[in-house]
Amino acid sequence: MSAALQHPLLDRRLILVTGKGGTGKTTVVASLALAAAQRGKRVIVIETGLDEHIPRLLAPNSGTAGYAGKTLLPGIDSMRIDPYEALAEYLSMKTGMRAPLHFVIRNPSFRQFMDATPGWRELITLGKIWQLEQSVDTKKRPLYDLLLVDAPATGHGLIFLEVPQVVASAVRTGTLHRNAEFVGTLLQDAQRTVLLPVALAEELPARETIELVARVRQKVGAPLACIVVNSVMPAPFPTGLENLDQLLGRLPQARQITGLPPLSAITRCAQHLRARFELNRRYVEMIHNETQLPVLTLPQIPHGIVSLSDLRVLAAALSRNRPVLPA
Amino acid sequence: MTISSLDHLIENKRIVVTVGCGGVGKTTVASALALAAARRGRRAVVITIDPARRLADALGLRELSNEPCPVPRSTLDALGVPSEGSLSAMMLDMKRTFDDLVERFARDSATRDRILANRIYHHVSDALAGSAEYSAMEKVFELSECSDFDLVVVDTPPSQHALDFLEAPERMIAFLDSRLVQLIVHPAMQAGRFGFRMFQRSAYKALELIERITGVGFLEDISEFLLAFESLAPGFRERARQVQHRLRSDQAAFVLTTAPASESVKQSILFLNRLAALRVPLAGIVINRMRHWPDGEPPLSIPEPEHAATALSELTQAFAALGAKDFSALEAAQAAIQAADCYAALVRRDFDTTSELVARARTIDAFVRRIPELPEDVHDLVGLGLVANHLFHVGEFVAERNIAQ
Repeated sequence: MSAALQHPLLDRRLILVTGKGGTGKTTVVASLALAAAQRGKRVIVIETGLDEHIPRLLAPNSGTAGYAGKTLLPGIDSMRIDPYEALAEYLSMKTGMRAPLHFVIRNPSFRQFMDATPGWRELITLGKIWQLEQSVDTKKRPLYDLLLVDAPATGHGLIFLEVPQVVASAVRTGTLHRNAEFVGTLLQDAQRTVLLPVALAEELPARETIELVARVRQKVGAPLACIVVNSVMPAPFPTGLENLDQLLGRLPQARQITGLPPLSAITRCAQHLRARFELNRRYVEMIHNETQLPVLTLPQIPHGIVSLSDLRVLAAALSRNRPVLPA
Repeated sequence: MTISSLDHLIENKRIVVTVGCGGVGKTTVASALALAAARRGRRAVVITIDPARRLADALGLRELSNEPCPVPRSTLDALGVPSEGSLSAMMLDMKRTFDDLVERFARDSATRDRILANRIYHHVSDALAGSAEYSAMEKVFELSECSDFDLVVVDTPPSQHALDFLEAPERMIAFLDSRLVQLIVHPAMQAGRFGFRMFQRSAYKALELIERITGVGFLEDISEFLLAFESLAPGFRERARQVQHRLRSDQAAFVLTTAPASESVKQSILFLNRLAALRVPLAGIVINRMRHWPDGEPPLSIPEPEHAATALSELTQAFAALGAKDFSALEAAQAAIQAADCYAALVRRDFDTTSELVARARTIDAFVRRIPELPEDVHDLVGLGLVANHLFHVGEFVAERNIAQ
């Protein structure tokens, strides 16, 4: 029980998952949702991109969840924050007139204009997340124990997090200033919030993650607890035979054994697997050494993520919370 | 047939655009294509956006720059680039490219200064109707006009809207021409003289409402910016037309880069559909990081089931003959067979995953090239040289690995 309470991720209120495109950020979000629901938490997954991916992963035949949201599995809801829907909700809250606002946000001219206007999407999206965090049920209990946000990819992810500060300092008073302050406070609160970078054990994502962490520490100040490195290749050979590729290399390479490919081919396979494995390990070490954050690795699923059971494997790995580094 | 079309591309085109989703090694492929062209005596420049830092170092790019940076002659000699060929690289600073455009098209220095000093400009120039993509295309056009280069290879920005960059010039123009922008820029004129449509009025009212609730004078800022920016429209419009024309001419070719992960392949098929919808002909597909069997076709099962027992015992004996005491020969033989069997399955899977894409390529007469997953990431010019070799089927998988070391 005490171990469960010390989980660096699952015991927060708000996890903002970010990472470069292609790192499997959404897979990590889905797996975290499963792991949290497993612990009896009520979870909402919040998507912020143009397309929804979570419903397809967690409840393949359910269709999209949209702004209204949908329950995908027991304890797991999902929604996508469309900034225009959030804007309509916000404006109607402030004015009390709903229908005309929906008409306006569907107006192509208005959208074209707003599309070119910076900052408001991030702020309204974060505002909606803040509102969900504050929401309570009829017994005054929080509506959700955990909010899991599939935040934009790294570059935009930082803009996403910086907007409240920029707005709060640019606009000194008024409603917008107060809203930006509420949101900014939530983002900085290490008790409730954690920013989770997802990386791969490859050059580009590893570098970007290191830069992201540096910039978050320097400018954004959002709490960091660990880094998830996704799709890490498992050791290719069993314990005690770590140098199997070298042993193979010492065998007579020209030898042909019936039923096997030439020994030279087997040796090359083993050398290649070993090289890729070592490469993965070097990047995991690099991420840890340069960020000084614990690293949780998720195993590569050789056939790709095709079913809920693949996600459960990752959820179990996240739940166990055994950072590979520091060892 | 297919070999000649990649050769043709490298030897004759003036612009090669590599497209594809992020994380598939698009920058590497773009740089390798430029290197391959240089090896054939052309003066090539590769424009890249946000490459891996070590690759940037290898190419001599220390920071963002809007000027092509030449790879030193001594390095080119080592890479087999003849004296008439050259290779330059540029890491695009999109913000500065956009500033340069403002500079070029501004009526006078006062207009220019008003735009560049506007406090929302630096946000807007990032967000404005795909201006990042627009900037990239603008730079490609400029360099393709430049007499210092025969070939410009551009690595397009990964983007959620996959092919934004192709439509960016049009969207920029559509934005500047939109009635709402006109209304904000000239509210009095629109209200007074033209039919002030309900449609536009409601949009304008919504903006006023947002302004009232939030207490931000953002209409004022934006209209000031747009007013100044509007005067740039004729220049932008003409330039956009030229860029579009060049990209769709037979001087330009598009190459799709992908990787064998099922997500990348799915996105690539969407890409093909959109390219077709935009009527952009695709020259070819490069599948990067294919796992590769070292010796022809991967066996379906290792060992062959009917020889399983003898194969294991013979391999065990071979290990035992090494005479070492610190490992079990049987376990080593089992592990070696298992590793080879797993790897063969991965090789077959990569072929299966990409087969639909390859079939699609055949139907549109596009070439397909597979680059094997290398034991190390490509982060220097030697690595790029290897990738270029694989693009043209030069040399063998493992032989080259030894060169790399």
